[in-house]
Amino acid sequence: MRLTTVAWRNVWRNKRRSIVILVSIMVGVIATVLMDTLSRGMIFQILDNQIRSHVSHLQIHRKGFRDNPVIQATIPDADRVEDALKNVRGIASSTPRVLTYGLISSATNSSGIFLLGVDHDREKNVTTINKSLLAGEYLSGKPNEAVIGEALAEKLGVGLGDRIVAMASAVDGHVGSDVFRIVGLFETFSSEFDKSTIYIPLASAQSMLTIGDRVSEFALIMSDLERLPAIQKSLKEQLGDGYEVFTYGEILPLLLAQIDMYDQSMFIFYGIIGIALIFGIINTMLMSVFERIHEFGVLKAIGMPDSRLLMMVLLEALHLGIIGTALGFAIGYALYLPLSHTGLDLRMFSDGLRSFGVGAIIYPVLTWGSVVNALFIIPFVSVIGALYPAMRAARLTPVSAIRHV
Amino acid sequence: MEQKLIRVENLEKLYQDNGVPVRALHDISLSIGQGEFSAIAGPSGSGKTTLLNLIGALDKPTNGAIFFEGEDLSSKTKKELSSLRLHRLGFVFQAYNLIPVLSALENVEFAMMLLGIPDRERNRRAMATMEELGIAELAHKRPNQMSGGQQQRAAVARAIVTNPSVVLADEPTANLDSVTAHGLIELMERMNKEKNITFIFSSHDQQVLEHARRILVLKDGTLVDEINK
Repeated sequence: MRLTTVAWRNVWRNKRRSIVILVSIMVGVIATVLMDTLSRGMIFQILDNQIRSHVSHLQIHRKGFRDNPVIQATIPDADRVEDALKNVRGIASSTPRVLTYGLISSATNSSGIFLLGVDHDREKNVTTINKSLLAGEYLSGKPNEAVIGEALAEKLGVGLGDRIVAMASAVDGHVGSDVFRIVGLFETFSSEFDKSTIYIPLASAQSMLTIGDRVSEFALIMSDLERLPAIQKSLKEQLGDGYEVFTYGEILPLLLAQIDMYDQSMFIFYGIIGIALIFGIINTMLMSVFERIHEFGVLKAIGMPDSRLLMMVLLEALHLGIIGTALGFAIGYALYLPLSHTGLDLRMFSDGLRSFGVGAIIYPVLTWGSVVNALFIIPFVSVIGALYPAMRAARLTPVSAIRHV
Repeated sequence: MEQKLIRVENLEKLYQDNGVPVRALHDISLSIGQGEFSAIAGPSGSGKTTLLNLIGALDKPTNGAIFFEGEDLSSKTKKELSSLRLHRLGFVFQAYNLIPVLSALENVEFAMMLLGIPDRERNRRAMATMEELGIAELAHKRPNQMSGGQQQRAAVARAIVTNPSVVLADEPTANLDSVTAHGLIELMERMNKEKNITFIFSSHDQQVLEHARRILVLKDGTLVDEINK
């Protein structure tokens, strides 16, 4: 027999009361698990969408390009970059790109756009644009093909097979332009991206902008994201001062700040759940202590130190916290598991979600951080909630407690 | 002169009853030696329980002093008094006061658990004590599965299993029938003789008092008589 055994049995003296508090703990934990995993899934989806639609894990430019993305700022020696990439372990795929801002016109309308000249084969391994097609086909490598966002096509009043004119400043300052045939319409998770981006073949972009065989950017995807900092460092060292190498974190600082803020906000959520539960626990434990004042007097008479009595009451609360958390987590996990495969269908909110760069189906994500938070915070709160009742019990004088009816 | 186990000097205890001071004990002086089998007698309200509570370090006197094994209890901290009760004292209550969620055996083991005695030794000593008291077969029964007499025997077992110097029993037979009461007192007498444990019990039952070798008579909080047999 241990003190923890006595505490365990004390928990079940009043089964109904203990079950009520257990259920409230379970509901709190289930809500926390689902809220955490869905929110985290949403955040991860936003980040992954950004990375997979365009940003990628690493970008290499000529130094200064990010601050001033003009067509003149092309990479000095693309072959040197390709050689450098071959010397680095952990890169799954890479692709060269030409980037510039320009104007696209149809017969009826025009729009400012972000023009991407891509190697159609290599781009497929870096972004998922080829899988985002609503209609038509992805670039085949033939000259003067274009794939644009469905939202952009709608704005321009064009469809598959129609021709558009793209214009942008060429390297020598004159306006480069060319006619392109729309072969595909895409829709990504970001409505803003869809309204403003056009993909054309790399060679077509280089020709239109008269940059020869030069490129603006290399975009990279890692096979091992843990090695990202090391790869960035290695490429910087190999390429030297004339180049800049940015991670997705440096390219999307706002998004990463949002993710950090999310982590902070989850603690607030846990705090709110904890505070709600703590009052229930205080009430339950106070009632439990009040009912046993006489017995506590007897225990003190036998010689039980105040500290052991305090420990016993805290253990009772801890038992409730642990059991409630374990059961709540088991149920929460059982709900999370199928959702992680099927996703949560939020199609009724798809327009709003796309403006944030989130898809209509959210896949919850369970991280070790979520598990640790869910498993430890509530038991901790249970013990905190029991402190006051436990101290009340410990402070009883033996004779007054024994006399208590 | 042989040092007495317990010495009480000019003991006084006042309670506040709705703001009115009530004198429960007045100018009590007595001493109790090792191995005594003494009773505190008196009508209800005479201060028997109060005196036992003070001797047992469950309460503090308003005035006067209590010495246990030569040490003044008023100089001890809460923690020290708690330790004294655990190591040197045993209690038997009128209402048995076994812990309802524990079996009889576990109730007897409880104080030894607090002392840190290992499981096996605890179990051995508890079973041996219960066998001495004739309740070994009740080891795994909960208090609500035992009669009053059985519960009180378990309470006595709990009180003596740690080999205390003194067992304080407050009206231990009050809730028992006369036969069971007689049996319990005889049991306590036997423990007193075999183990040299000092027993101090309070009672107003004449049949029970007949077993005591010394009777301290209280009336209205004052020691009015002392009978040595």
